[in-house]
Amino acid sequence: METIPEKTGSTQAPAGFILTALLVGIFAVGLTVAVSATPDLSVNVMLDRDTIGLDEQALLQVEISGESQNLPAPVLPTLPTFEIYSQGRSSSINIVNGKVTSSVVYRYLLLPQKPGVFPIDQISVVYNNRRHKGNAVELTVVDAGSASPQELEDRALDTEGDSRDYFMEAVVDKKEPFVNEQVTLTLKFYIAVRYYGSPELTEPTTTGFWTEVIGNKAPYFQKINDRRYKVIERKYALFPTQTGKLTIGRAAIRTTVAGKRRQKRDPFDVFDFGDFFGRGVEVTARSRPITVDVQPLPRAERPDDFTGTIGSFSIRVSADKSQVEVNQPVTVTVAITGTGNIKSVAEPVIPELDDFRVYRASSSEKLSASGDKFGGTKIFEEVFIPRRPGTLEIPAFKFNYFDPGKNRYVTGSTRPMPLMVTRPEGYVASQDQPYVSPDMTIGSEARGIRHIKFQLGQVTPRGRVILLTPLFLLVNSLPVLLLAGTVLLRRRREKLAADVGYARARGAARLARKRLAKAKTLAQVQQAGEFYAEVYQVLTSYIADKLNISPHGLTTESIAELLRQRAADEKLVADVSRVIEECDFARFAPASLTQQDIDRSLEQVETVMIGIEGVRFA
Amino acid sequence: MRRLCFALVASAVFAMLLSSAVRAQTEEFAAANKFYEEKDYPSAIRLYLSVLNQHGESPTLYLNLGNAYFKAGDLGHAVLYYTRAKRRDPSDEDIAHNFMFARQFSRVQMEGVQLNPISAFLSSIVDPYRLDAMAWLTCALFLVFMLFLVIRYGLGVVSPAVRIGAIVAVVFLFVVGGLTSFKYRTDYLTRRAVIIADECPVRTGASEQSDMELQGAPGLVVEIMSETSDYYNVLFENKRRGWVKKELVAEI
Repeated sequence: METIPEKTGSTQAPAGFILTALLVGIFAVGLTVAVSATPDLSVNVMLDRDTIGLDEQALLQVEISGESQNLPAPVLPTLPTFEIYSQGRSSSINIVNGKVTSSVVYRYLLLPQKPGVFPIDQISVVYNNRRHKGNAVELTVVDAGSASPQELEDRALDTEGDSRDYFMEAVVDKKEPFVNEQVTLTLKFYIAVRYYGSPELTEPTTTGFWTEVIGNKAPYFQKINDRRYKVIERKYALFPTQTGKLTIGRAAIRTTVAGKRRQKRDPFDVFDFGDFFGRGVEVTARSRPITVDVQPLPRAERPDDFTGTIGSFSIRVSADKSQVEVNQPVTVTVAITGTGNIKSVAEPVIPELDDFRVYRASSSEKLSASGDKFGGTKIFEEVFIPRRPGTLEIPAFKFNYFDPGKNRYVTGSTRPMPLMVTRPEGYVASQDQPYVSPDMTIGSEARGIRHIKFQLGQVTPRGRVILLTPLFLLVNSLPVLLLAGTVLLRRRREKLAADVGYARARGAARLARKRLAKAKTLAQVQQAGEFYAEVYQVLTSYIADKLNISPHGLTTESIAELLRQRAADEKLVADVSRVIEECDFARFAPASLTQQDIDRSLEQVETVMIGIEGVRFA
Repeated sequence: MRRLCFALVASAVFAMLLSSAVRAQTEEFAAANKFYEEKDYPSAIRLYLSVLNQHGESPTLYLNLGNAYFKAGDLGHAVLYYTRAKRRDPSDEDIAHNFMFARQFSRVQMEGVQLNPISAFLSSIVDPYRLDAMAWLTCALFLVFMLFLVIRYGLGVVSPAVRIGAIVAVVFLFVVGGLTSFKYRTDYLTRRAVIIADECPVRTGASEQSDMELQGAPGLVVEIMSETSDYYNVLFENKRRGWVKKELVAEI
């Protein structure tokens, strides 16, 4: 009996095996995550022309775009029938709503080696171990000089059969489009001579079309009738808005070309630097008008809810939440993407739903051009508010359009989306609003709000703001006034203490009034001597204090002189002198005075004092 | 003597008028409350508005008005008056509760609300306090600071205690004064409005012909950025902008 040999090390195998399996598993999961996390990458291959002559060249552009900022270079297949020269690359980065997308365009010049039809379909990009293939294009190479159609060659000749220096062509890709179907208008300006500055274009009239500019193509060269023309190209997407024959008007382009050199007969012409400095001849080229016959859309099989959208579109829908509570909003985004007049795409119709209240939140458009085809994405945001708990269904969205490529009406639709709607605490059913909680009801039966209050409280005028009330401003200004007052008071005190002259001058009036009051008490015949002595003191002390000088030794003359020096009125000087003289007289002969003399003197001295107070002593 | 008599009579007349006005507003307010209790919300609203227009505003009056509108099924006006009540007295729990409660009923909830972190921080500090209280606190701090200045420069007292006191007072003054200014700017200088109409199309321009940007809903609070004769240019909490007809919103 054959025995199966026992595997050596089998007892140790589980640990190592498990470890290995784990590592492999982790690697596999990691790889899966990495692959699944790989951002989308697109490779778009474009040729500037479909057909070229054998002695011409074509520009091949490979556009790689994706969410990564480090996009790899494309891998070109072997193209033995062409010489290939790299023309460099250009890159751009877009940041929309925090999402970064970048694109790089690699340019290659293809020089054909032989005539024929050559597919270019193996251009790819390897990124994160995945190969992303680009779209296939086809380049037709014809014999030298026959790349241009006969009509173009005829256009390049003038009536005398000479080759034109410049001319303009306008072509459309469709002569019998459907209404609202894109017609691509291409304007080409051919110029074989030197020109200055940027040519100035007058756009063609496109009455009856809704027009979008696709853009300008990079200038290229083309040989026509053995002459090398520089071609400037501009494309438009035209969407006819009515049926019948519509005319695209002439376009015109104006530029300045180098003038033809004259034979110099005048010897001074050697100083004519006109052409050298770029002066030339202004010329204008015009295209020929084009008439297109716009066809109506077929009536057969036209859906009832068709809104007139033409093109090729896809529709997708997404919701920002998959689980919500009753009465909480879910934003559903419907995106319609494709080629065609994206602005005319109508909002998908949402029927009345028992389970949801639906509100339209917003719509937006993002226009783009893919090659010559105009299109983009139109986004509608709808707010769905579930009325009841349970597993509800956001319905499928339908969108009808006419696809001119397939010549039939197409209905794009999405799948219904499940939505888990949960029931918040406290929900009960009622007949009117079956799945709404009493707390969540607005109206007379509403519960959950706190009751009214019965004390009105302090009522203030409407719109009153405390910051602007007079009371507030007053309270705030009081401390400022207090500070200013105390500071001024302190400064005054300090000055009075430090400056004797200032103190005497400031106190002169007060002292004089005091003495005058005392004099009034002495205004009697019996005390005439004391009265006049006091009046004398009033006058001399006041003037001495004001001038910070000693009152002793002041005479009538010196007082008069001092008053004159301070520009006192001469009458005042005379009055003062008279009063002082009267005082002197009365002090030494008081017996001859009557009560009337004393009263008159008192009156005079009061008048004089008022006058002296008006004199500027400082 | 005659002057004294005149002053006494004038004071008595003024006191009587004041007393009768207070009694009238109290009676009207009580009558409005009675209508509310009897579930006659339109009558309650009418009387509350009469008190408001004739006598002035109070947080309680706004709260009761908000409740009456809420019970009458008018969410826009309910949120409007709760907002006004909250502005007058942010510390009142009943007002805050009803305000938050009512806002849940707006058909459209603002998502993607972006708050300036500095503003949000400052708001979290000042939100519980009344502007009046903050203004008087600022005033008191100003008074204290000025007193220190009076002691130092008016009375000439030079001491480290006075200097430190003045520095502390001025620091508090700047902090509280800054917060008061922030609250005043947020609550009063920034113009806000509440959508009160059931259907409030928000348009891309100030005309009926402009495209509709979104549909506003009653109870949504917006900031007024500019205005034409018929339209407000408003900013929603989630920073979306648009034009709404003036008659569809009420300024807070």
